[in-house]
Amino acid sequence: MDTRIMNNNNDCGYKEGALPSCAPLAVGFVPRQQSSTPRYEGEKALYRGTLFPGLDLPLWNIVNTDAADVPARELMALDFAAHDLALYLDTHPNDQEAFTVYKELLKLAEEGKRRYVACYGPVMKSDMVDSDCFTWLNDPWPWDNQTEG
Amino acid sequence: MFVYEKKLQYPIKIAQPNAALAKFIISQYGGPDGELGASLRYLSQRFSMPWPELKGVLTDIGTEELSHLEMVGTLVHQLTRNLTPEQIKAEGYDAYFVDHTVGVFPQSAGGVPWNAVGIGVKGDVITDLTENMAAEQKARTTYDNILRLSDDADVNNVIRFLREREIVHFQRFGEALALATDRLDHSNVYYMNPAFHD
Repeated sequence: MDTRIMNNNNDCGYKEGALPSCAPLAVGFVPRQQSSTPRYEGEKALYRGTLFPGLDLPLWNIVNTDAADVPARELMALDFAAHDLALYLDTHPNDQEAFTVYKELLKLAEEGKRRYVACYGPVMKSDMVDSDCFTWLNDPWPWDNQTEG
Repeated sequence: MFVYEKKLQYPIKIAQPNAALAKFIISQYGGPDGELGASLRYLSQRFSMPWPELKGVLTDIGTEELSHLEMVGTLVHQLTRNLTPEQIKAEGYDAYFVDHTVGVFPQSAGGVPWNAVGIGVKGDVITDLTENMAAEQKARTTYDNILRLSDDADVNNVIRFLREREIVHFQRFGEALALATDRLDHSNVYYMNPAFHD
């Protein structure tokens, strides 16, 4: 048998999940994420694919150490952190501490979008409110390969 | 309603075209466990869900899946750009090419066009959320298999991101299921279907 599936010891090596004291039979059950902390900082959440280290479970433990360098990367990272925390809040709507952090992430994403739009043009049509012409059609589009001119 | 954001969720910059990879990655565009099915599954299940957390999880994950659909389409597009007919033949993309040129068509790796049979909308809260947990695992396995077959670092970086999202979504659907059973008759969670008046 592959040793990688046998390396548990008797300690609880699982991370950050909680079982209830009682639960129904014959229905699926996933331990609840107990807290929105710890969280990855900066762009790490983006290239790891989750804001939460406890949910970061890579195949063969091979992980990304960065994401491709594109102009929107900073904005993508800010939006992603807010989005992943929003999914947490969907199932933890009464976690006020997480909601306070969420509002801070939204502010950072808003500022990041303003910086991006000023340099590269609109992300949404409403970003053209101060634009002199219809810049929506300007290249590049998201699927364009930006390794070439 | 939906409003488009003119950016990807995650950066994609594929240096080297490679139609042989596009040939199976397209399965996550329009295959049985792909992102088109995922988005339609969740965005369709929403309508019969009785509680706000469930409506929120399905709306937000369903919307994210649309951004993953765009990402997988982008992978296929960038992997098949600037190919000569000789490269298309050598890389085994000729059967696809003759029907779709280098357009991005929702089909499985085996060439089967996207089909709604691959998604479950049963209209029962426990059934649909359990379906979604299985669906996330199937998509995670597909991304695992893509990582087993691909040695392109630019592609694998993106695939690792998409694979990890399946794990996060599994967790949220699991929590949504617990939130639902909390509200059901604890002596018999199958007493009735809260998505239907009976």
